[in-house]
Amino acid sequence: MRPPASRLLAPRYSALSLLRARLSREYWQPLWRRSTPQEHYDVVVVGGGGHGLATAYHLARDHGIKRIAVLEKKVIGYGNVGRNTTIVRSNYLLPENHYFYEDSLRRYETLSHDLNYNVMYSPRGVVDLANSDDEMVGLARRGNAMRLAGIDAELMDRQGLMKYAPVLDPTLPRRYPIVGGLVQKRGGTVRHDAVAWGYARAAAALGVDIIEHCEVTGLQTTAGIATAVETTRGPIKADRIVFAVAGHTGHIGAMLGVPLPVETHLLQAMVTEPIKPLLHTVLIYMYGHSEVYMAQSDRGGLVMGGTLDGFPSFAREPLWHRLEEVVQSAVAMLPQVAGIKILRHWAGTNDQTMDGSPLIDRLRYENVFLNGGWCYGGFKAIPASGAACARLVASGRAPDLIKGFNLSRFATGHVLDEKGAGPFPVRQ
Amino acid sequence: MLLIQCPYCGPRPELEFAYGGQAHIARPLKPADLNDDEWAAFLYMRVNTKGVHAERWRHARGCNRFFNALRDTTTDHFLAVYKTGEARPALNTAGGHS
Amino acid sequence: MADLTGIPTMNHLTTARIAPQVTRSHWLAPLAPRSRFSLRAAPQVLALAGAAFGVAPSEQACRAVVQGTRAALWLSPDEQLLLGLEADTASIQADLHAALGKAAYSLVDVSHRQTALEISGPNAADILNGASPLDLSLAAFPVGMCTRTLLDKADIILWRTQHDVFHIEVWRSFTDYVTGLLSVIAREYES
Repeated sequence: MRPPASRLLAPRYSALSLLRARLSREYWQPLWRRSTPQEHYDVVVVGGGGHGLATAYHLARDHGIKRIAVLEKKVIGYGNVGRNTTIVRSNYLLPENHYFYEDSLRRYETLSHDLNYNVMYSPRGVVDLANSDDEMVGLARRGNAMRLAGIDAELMDRQGLMKYAPVLDPTLPRRYPIVGGLVQKRGGTVRHDAVAWGYARAAAALGVDIIEHCEVTGLQTTAGIATAVETTRGPIKADRIVFAVAGHTGHIGAMLGVPLPVETHLLQAMVTEPIKPLLHTVLIYMYGHSEVYMAQSDRGGLVMGGTLDGFPSFAREPLWHRLEEVVQSAVAMLPQVAGIKILRHWAGTNDQTMDGSPLIDRLRYENVFLNGGWCYGGFKAIPASGAACARLVASGRAPDLIKGFNLSRFATGHVLDEKGAGPFPVRQ
Repeated sequence: MLLIQCPYCGPRPELEFAYGGQAHIARPLKPADLNDDEWAAFLYMRVNTKGVHAERWRHARGCNRFFNALRDTTTDHFLAVYKTGEARPALNTAGGHS
Repeated sequence: MADLTGIPTMNHLTTARIAPQVTRSHWLAPLAPRSRFSLRAAPQVLALAGAAFGVAPSEQACRAVVQGTRAALWLSPDEQLLLGLEADTASIQADLHAALGKAAYSLVDVSHRQTALEISGPNAADILNGASPLDLSLAAFPVGMCTRTLLDKADIILWRTQHDVFHIEVWRSFTDYVTGLLSVIAREYES
């Protein structure tokens, strides 16, 4: 699946290229070339985040499409691809979700080779902790569904947890006790920025134009077909248009006059000061109505996140009391982290759908496509989303993997409500 | 922390409130008369405005009342609050944030 | 009917008043048991109830009205918390039912659901602010003001009865949590 070397415009990374760069003192090369908008493209991808870049990469690599542009309003890596908590996993209950995320996890396993860029995939395991025997039953159900689909899952009691994650003492008295957990050992973390940079570099090497600081403001259409996007850098003609704009999906709907089952909510994350290696896995712990998921980055910081802030917003100003809840949950889970300082704290804009599952489908026009509605799951979905969305755009037909992610499911009733929460993007 | 103006209790900390979704969505009087698309529009489709958004809030840890608010979703500034059943107030667009 | 001998009845449970143990200190005092009613009704029915109860409920939001041994606390436009002597529980209930007759209302005896605490002294507001973001200055929260609010994770009703005295109504099972939390905060003000 690797592109032939002759099609790469940039040199391949290898031990030899490192040595050559050292000797020639030309090590610091831009990862991808800067492009200016051309008049016309085969495909214009709106949004230079993980999904947009991966879609463009696969359109070029798998489908031989030559003239592709990725338009980014800000800079590559500014949005959610650089704001998430880097966790990858495929421990979903519903078949539509777990087959899709498993495809994505498998692609992550080989992504460094495929992109010729080290994305630092670390299969350190993801542990969902249970507070009660009832939750253990729920986790067993989810684990069994995964195993039936050929995905690794292991249910652990307290003894198993103590062995697997010695940092965690499940026997400590807690307001919400830890009685066991569901472990997916192939889950783990991937360096998020590297995913953006790796896809951008690989796509550019295949001839994709990556155009930053170019905001799409409108769409030109004739006779039911979109013909061009209007941008802050002038109109750009396109045969096909893909919107992969995450938290801004809602107003793409407004721009096209299509109501969407989406609300944009803030999800925050934070990282502590670096400490020596403490946590070798990813822990997810429900603490009453709040939650914490925690992993230790390679630099040593504990990266943490929790639940949504609770109301639609584009402000990217995270709520302090939600930060407090995440920290409380973290300290309840691992009391030994109580004295560590939080270094940074930020938020991203999530396009939360009304059933919590993504949208990859045509959007109103025959040649306009939407790749969005990623809710919490965007980062871990990037490789599968890019490949599947590219197939939809290139062939006009959605591959089986994403058939369930259509927009019509909200009218037909085939919603993918993983949490069984009903038509709400956020519950309080 | 945001201070939210409860129309009954006055300015109170955000902690006491719960978001209640987009405002002014009327439940169809005869759901059976709707086709699937109309029902999906009622149940799932949202305006998701980037800008001034009319929405419901509940003073859940105070007087427990639902009310409506106009909030700028780009800044989280509350521009107006009004009681359930009242019409959406006109904003002084030149005045900006209150 | 089955033999229920030896199984505690609801009556047995509700008459056993096992209040959480709160240690009295110079700034914190547990208050004696009293009768409490949650009354929900439209404003005109509330006025009717006020006549029977002996306290005209406040029409102004977040205000308590005291008359003799009884108090009516505004919690919501249609909700008042009525406080009285413990011995008057039955008579308050009977009087209100008689006065309200067929009007639409809900009257629930919540005497045993809650306990009451009193926080007093020059640091009372500061101690409360350790777990509450409310503005407790006299201008924003004058004497006589009451409200349901959050104290950290606990739902409470906070009522300023005097300049530096606050009455707290807290659900029984949260009493230990609330007193423990306030005691930790109060350490800061001990010399």
